[in-house]
Amino acid sequence: MIAPLHTLVAALAADTTPQGTAWLPPAASNIAQSVDPMFYAINWICYIFFFGILAALVYFVVKYRVRKGQAFRSDGPLHHLPLETSWAVVPLLIVIVIFYIGFRDFLNISTPPKNAYVVQVTAQKWAWNFKYPNGATSDDLYVPAGRPVQLTMRASDVLHCCYIPDFRVKKDLVPGRYSYLWFQADDVSGQNPHNLFCTEYCGTGHSTMNRKVHVLAQEDFDAWLVEQSQWLDKIPEEELFFRAGPKIYARCQQCHSLDGTKGIGPSWKGLWSRVHGGEGSNEKFGDGSTYASLIGPGKKYATPEDYLRNSILNPGSELVGGYGNAMPSFKGQLNDKAIDAVIGMMQHLDDFDPKTGKYLKEAPAAPKVSMK
Amino acid sequence: MTTIDASRPIDLASRPDNYLTHTRGFLSWALTLDHKRIGVMYMAAVLVSFFVGGVFALLVRTELLTPGQTIPGVTADVYNQFFTLHGAIMVFLVIIPSIPAALGNFVLPIMLGAKDVAFPRLNLGSFYLWLAGAAFTLVSLAMGGFDTGWTFYTPYSTTTTTGGVIPVLFGVFILGFSSIFTGMNFVVTVHKLRPPGMTWFRMPLFLWAIYATAIIQVLATPVLAITLMLVVIERTINIGIFDPSMGGDPVLFQHFFWFYSHPAVYIMILPAMGIISELISVHAHRHIFGYKFIALSSIAIAIFSFLVWGHHMFTSGQSPLMNTLFSLISFSVAIPSAVKVFNWLTTLYKGNISLTTPMWYALSFMVLFTIGGLTGIHLATLNTDVHLHDTYFVVAHFHYVMMGSALIGMIGGLHHWWPKMTGKMYSEKLGTAACIIIFIGFNVTFFTQFYLGAKGMPRRYYDYLPEYQTYHVISTIGSYIMASGFFLTAYCLLSSLYSGRKAAANPWGGGSLEWQCTSPPPHDNFAVQPSVGDCYDFRALRWDETTQGYVNDPALAAEAARNPLH
Repeated sequence: MIAPLHTLVAALAADTTPQGTAWLPPAASNIAQSVDPMFYAINWICYIFFFGILAALVYFVVKYRVRKGQAFRSDGPLHHLPLETSWAVVPLLIVIVIFYIGFRDFLNISTPPKNAYVVQVTAQKWAWNFKYPNGATSDDLYVPAGRPVQLTMRASDVLHCCYIPDFRVKKDLVPGRYSYLWFQADDVSGQNPHNLFCTEYCGTGHSTMNRKVHVLAQEDFDAWLVEQSQWLDKIPEEELFFRAGPKIYARCQQCHSLDGTKGIGPSWKGLWSRVHGGEGSNEKFGDGSTYASLIGPGKKYATPEDYLRNSILNPGSELVGGYGNAMPSFKGQLNDKAIDAVIGMMQHLDDFDPKTGKYLKEAPAAPKVSMK
Repeated sequence: MTTIDASRPIDLASRPDNYLTHTRGFLSWALTLDHKRIGVMYMAAVLVSFFVGGVFALLVRTELLTPGQTIPGVTADVYNQFFTLHGAIMVFLVIIPSIPAALGNFVLPIMLGAKDVAFPRLNLGSFYLWLAGAAFTLVSLAMGGFDTGWTFYTPYSTTTTTGGVIPVLFGVFILGFSSIFTGMNFVVTVHKLRPPGMTWFRMPLFLWAIYATAIIQVLATPVLAITLMLVVIERTINIGIFDPSMGGDPVLFQHFFWFYSHPAVYIMILPAMGIISELISVHAHRHIFGYKFIALSSIAIAIFSFLVWGHHMFTSGQSPLMNTLFSLISFSVAIPSAVKVFNWLTTLYKGNISLTTPMWYALSFMVLFTIGGLTGIHLATLNTDVHLHDTYFVVAHFHYVMMGSALIGMIGGLHHWWPKMTGKMYSEKLGTAACIIIFIGFNVTFFTQFYLGAKGMPRRYYDYLPEYQTYHVISTIGSYIMASGFFLTAYCLLSSLYSGRKAAANPWGGGSLEWQCTSPPPHDNFAVQPSVGDCYDFRALRWDETTQGYVNDPALAAEAARNPLH
């Protein structure tokens, strides 16, 4: 029983290609190599049963159809123990074999190898953060080709789920726990980059939590890693707000607009004036205080920058009236320089396109850096 | 069946009195204890809810015509409420009560030859609890709706800012009690009110299915009720049960939720299987094949249903050992399901098949349930489920089972018992055409989604990558075809109330007891308690042109009595 199915699975293995097959997306990981033949083997079992049942159904209906008034025949069998037992036992044997193969491969899927390259993953509403051993972080996932990669994942607010269809891997991220996922991608030339989706419903931005996975050859990956860990450090302090600001703002824009549109969080438009005692500084907070009563020498926040920095690191401590406690903390994700860049962007907001966040003034030529 | 002629309530049949005209006025319905009227009220309420849930489904499908926003004003938040409402309404207000509470209420006591269910007042109470649950859902909408998904996963459900979460949790809590009371009522009715001669293995198979369902309802629903109350407690007084930021465990919620909600899938599908057993046998005028295997497979499914909840959580981070056990046990559900399909198929063999509208629904059910069941193999298998979990493949699979099977079974049953409920025949041409349109629309909508899911399209997505668009468009077109089929069905049935010809007592040639009383049945169902033979022996029936129904032919009955079936 097991042997023929194994043969079928092996024969179908030849079917999997990096371009994707009739039913499945490109097979770009070691795990896809074992999942795909299994999927097609089950498909074939389904086809055989389905078309068998359908053929019998149509044949019986056509053959045994009667018109009203025709006398009834009654020579059909009422029960047939061997037959009925056989169609309980045969499906049972088939599913036991399917179970066994699925189980064997699943153990492989759920056990990361000891020598795996570890990337720390944090998911929150509605962004992914990937952190590499040298301290570099990114919004897209970059992995080296040809070696096992383990994602050590956690969620900071609600359930999320990391799903990379081309790799056939998926695992929930549960707040308060760590979960693992691993794969090995060998192909750097095929369909690259690959999609990464959130597949556990997490609210407003659930469907926008999709990023890319880039598989790089080891030497390219190493170079990228060095570049990625230093890009912010290389930018001089005075250029931070327009060179780093918009890149970091890309993570804020789902909730905070620049043009005054009310989002999940307050718009940044006019924020600089509000925190500086200008227009809007009497706007009420949820607890009745105002910008003016919170910010200033001797008050809770001595400077507007203190208030803004705290709002990024402890977003729940003051809530602007009419907004819920929806923002996750960016502690450990944005360092001091990145926060300086964000605050600088808020200060010079008029220099940015209110729709896209693009810097409108002529920037001095600078060495090319990439965050994503 | 062949021996009941003497007890046939002939004088009742000639009397104009029936349960619809027995008493008049609003209160005679609102305070009725008649199981038939309660069943009809349930049916009306369920169908209205089905319409509402269907409108949300069409809104969801229309929104998915293009990536990003399609319908002006439908933002991600609005869309999230749409699919949540679609799911919650269809599961809790439509499918769970549809067959047991609506059709079961009407048919079960008559099939037993009884006057009513065991506890008629409790029965009416169940209906009012249903109404209260539905009212809470409306209150929830007025308070800002809810966007938790019908699964209410924590900690999202305990932290989301939409205002209607607590009312809808209360609503589902109350609906749970409605379901428990109906279940208890039916368990007692089947145990205590069977007529002389109707042993367990002489019951119509629909009753076995309802009985198995009722046991699940009574045992599983309290777990859901407690779980939802815990969510309410966590939201209102911040006691950490499921939210990790307060020391709780979100995976615990998933265990509790699926401990009910997986059996709930069988609360939905088992009664539909019971209906199909009746439909196939009655409209093929052929003794059901393998009665005992079908009856016992219902009980087997009811038992297995409690042992497989963990297969919803293969990727949730539960231990590989648990995943393994749940995968293995999940496969076991395939066995009783396969037995049923093969036995129905064999019932067609050497049958006397009338291609009536209910038969078309029964055949649709067999095709759709086979697809739904077979694709369950992909999902019970651990390694393929990792890829398919929470994609459109799962969406397609459970729509094939919950809609293509449970709801199609319900609509088939409605067509089967419509002449009995209303005393009118609908146009079979229209009814059959509508069934075929629904069947085509259904497959266009949902088969496409198997493909979408296998290609990696996640479920519950407002926005999606452009590469998936073609299939979303096909699926949406399918949903419009299906909707037009349902509107045609509604027209076909409703117009029969005004212009349908009068239904005979036994228009299809059924053998169970409900076909022996008039259409519609009198208030008391039977003047004297009927005695019972084999309800799947159709040999004594003869088509009668004048009444356009089947009648018992004494000559055929006598001949049948000389040659007992075995």
